Amino acid sequence: MVVLSYLFYVLVFPGLLFSTIVGLILSGIDRKVVARMQKRIGPPIIQPFYDFFKLLGKETIVPRTASRKTFLYAPVIGLLALVTVALFIPMFKFTAISTVADIIVIIYLLTIPAVALIIGGAASGSPYAGVGISREMVAIISYELPLVIVLLTIGKKVGMALNNGAITFSLSQIVNYQAQYGPMITKWSLIPAAIALLLIIPIKVGSVPFDIAEAETEICEGPLVEYSGVPLAIFKLNHAIKMFIMTSLFVTLFLSGKGTGILIVDILLQVILSAIVVIVSISTLKAITARLKVEQVLKFFWTYPTALALLSLILVWMGF
Amino acid sequence: MLKELIAKSFEKSPWLFHLNTGSCNGCDIEIVSVITPRYDAERMGFKLTGTPRHADIVLVTGPITSQSKDRLIRTLAQVPDPKVVVAIGSCPRSTNVFNGSYSVEGPLDKYVPIDVSVAGCPPKPEAIIDGLAKAIEILKEKRRAMK
Ligand code: SF4
Repeated sequence: MVVLSYLFYVLVFPGLLFSTIVGLILSGIDRKVVARMQKRIGPPIIQPFYDFFKLLGKETIVPRTASRKTFLYAPVIGLLALVTVALFIPMFKFTAISTVADIIVIIYLLTIPAVALIIGGAASGSPYAGVGISREMVAIISYELPLVIVLLTIGKKVGMALNNGAITFSLSQIVNYQAQYGPMITKWSLIPAAIALLLIIPIKVGSVPFDIAEAETEICEGPLVEYSGVPLAIFKLNHAIKMFIMTSLFVTLFLSGKGTGILIVDILLQVILSAIVVIVSISTLKAITARLKVEQVLKFFWTYPTALALLSLILVWMGF
Repeated sequence: MLKELIAKSFEKSPWLFHLNTGSCNGCDIEIVSVITPRYDAERMGFKLTGTPRHADIVLVTGPITSQSKDRLIRTLAQVPDPKVVVAIGSCPRSTNVFNGSYSVEGPLDKYVPIDVSVAGCPPKPEAIIDGLAKAIEILKEKRRAMK
């Protein structure tokens, strides 16, 4: 029975099937909203599904210079890591797996898709991919620091109330705290951290203005340049699931709480809030900005989001 | 069921790759205007990609010059099947005003088969969208022939 329920968690909800569908719908919403902001009609919301299934039907070409196995398995590694992360993120009261330190697990697992992109790009043997992976590394270096500070801040805030001042790394404890004291976003000392996380989400999913690694007009989609057919479809899927996981993480960290008590309604609420976060943090930024240069991205993330996150950390440490 | 889904998706999500083989830039600008808010080809699922590996439809503009001949053949070989070649403008069809130039090697169909040809110098965006709609039909047929 336990095995069966875990299989259900991994394959259906909240694992592979659920996060695939929600992720693809969210990226469809993102494309539609960006189009409407640019006064276009835009593709239908289910467009990412069409893209995904079309790529499944295309020929898969492996370049002669590529190392075949690594090239083909890299996207699958990324997908596995993302599905695992999906199990750890609580949706209001519901959690598939809950441990004492799931935040640390999530930080590590969320790096794996980026690493998978680097591995796949490196295995393809294309010079464009070479440029792309070096830029992806710059991106990782720039967002990891503020992300960790934001998570520490929230851990400290919750720890001061529930854990005698020791930082907590448990997401379910964070949800418990919000159930007792109201959503985290209502605490004024945490608003800078929320803004920092809203800025980190676009670079994590690799969207404009921070898509330095996949700059399609500049370096031909970087690490993805040699991919076609099924592996490309899985990379696109990774991208969509990453979008869902990052926004869902934001909802769990800042907008969660008691919920309604009915599982289906809670999940719907989580998805709707995630869609709002997508519109606020990804679509709006994408529609109003152009891509930054590589060094500008690094400089931006090590100044503004880091400063905002640190400000929150200091405020929380002082007891506000 | 999966087969039907894939067949349906082929008409909904054609990705374009734009290949300039020596055009005067007129046709290129008209292609870009197809994805502007006024014509918005993205509502039909068209998307410009940066690499031939992601493309379904290749748009060729300009006559084939001696510099671009090799690159044209190599780029088209990199596009995964099924693929459709669309010639935009009169240049790839007949070399147009560049006919007889020392560096022009000849029209596109001397090297690769053309599936759809959109005439005009440059063609109107409406004509390009019409040509793309025909290209989708051919793409679907090629997909059916593949299996
Ligand atoms: S068809 Fe006319 S506009 Fe187009 S590339 Fe040729 S000369 Fe230029």
